[in-house]
Amino acid sequence: MGAGGGAQPPAGAARMGSSEDDKSLITKTLAGEREAFGSLVERYAPQARRVARAVLGDPDDADDAAQDGFLSALVKLAQYDTRRPFGPWLMRIVANAATDRRRRRNVRQAEPLDAALVGGGPRPDVVAMRSELSARLRTALGELPERRRTAVVLFDVEGYSHAEIAGILGIPEGTVRSEVFHARRRLRTLLADWKEQVK
Amino acid sequence: MKNEPSFDHRPDPELGAALRAALEPKDDHKAFAARVMAQYERALDRASVPTLDVLASWFRPGIAAAVAALILGFLFGRTVLAPEPASFDTAMAPLEGRGLADLVTSQDPPDASVVFSSLVEQR
Repeated sequence: MGAGGGAQPPAGAARMGSSEDDKSLITKTLAGEREAFGSLVERYAPQARRVARAVLGDPDDADDAAQDGFLSALVKLAQYDTRRPFGPWLMRIVANAATDRRRRRNVRQAEPLDAALVGGGPRPDVVAMRSELSARLRTALGELPERRRTAVVLFDVEGYSHAEIAGILGIPEGTVRSEVFHARRRLRTLLADWKEQVK
Repeated sequence: MKNEPSFDHRPDPELGAALRAALEPKDDHKAFAARVMAQYERALDRASVPTLDVLASWFRPGIAAAVAALILGFLFGRTVLAPEPASFDTAMAPLEGRGLADLVTSQDPPDASVVFSSLVEQR
């Protein structure tokens, strides 16, 4: 597509490491090894920050929420069932932390689009165009209902299955499919419009 | 990019990449991880109170409870177990033998031991 910072395959991105690696790190963390917890944080930080940002919009708020999520996961780690994948379990906690933070801060509204972006001003270089697309996508995401934007990010960016997202968001799998479908319809329209402009 | 208006069970790589770029934080993830670990260390420090402090915290209520029990016991013993106050006459009366009145009105000279014991009893 030529935009969006390179076409990295999102599918399978949710599996940041093998489940055996995760299990080992979790066992060591529970035994009090701080470095093991640090490794888990480093492994899942990119994903947790993106998911939190999908919920909150604001990057600083998202980082605070992701941090809350990691520390909350640490507290609950003894309850984690190691037979299940760690990623969805952690993302559920992170998404809940982000939702809680959003509720506490009384829902930040999506930032209005920059006039230059709306008006289709002068076309700078490719980097700036990618930045413009990112800004549009963030705005479009912000306009979607929270559950919908989280679902589409978990599916298309993080590579979770519908069933896993259903577990993360605590909703039926059919609802996840519907949310992803509606989110994609909106975002793909925006993406197509942008591509037309770039041509 | 796929445009078919139907449920699709496969991730959309193009849309996914665009969204990933839009959501990717500008700073390094290592800085974020360091921040989380710093918070983790602070939480651990708060959670690990020295053993002596714990014992002291248990000790203080123990001492207070012991002092309270002592005071209550003293008050209880004083009100329940103490004998009723005697009258002045009872207190002045000799316990046994000849009293002061007999001693004064007697025709015979008093025995020194009787005088001594009477005086001691009066005290």
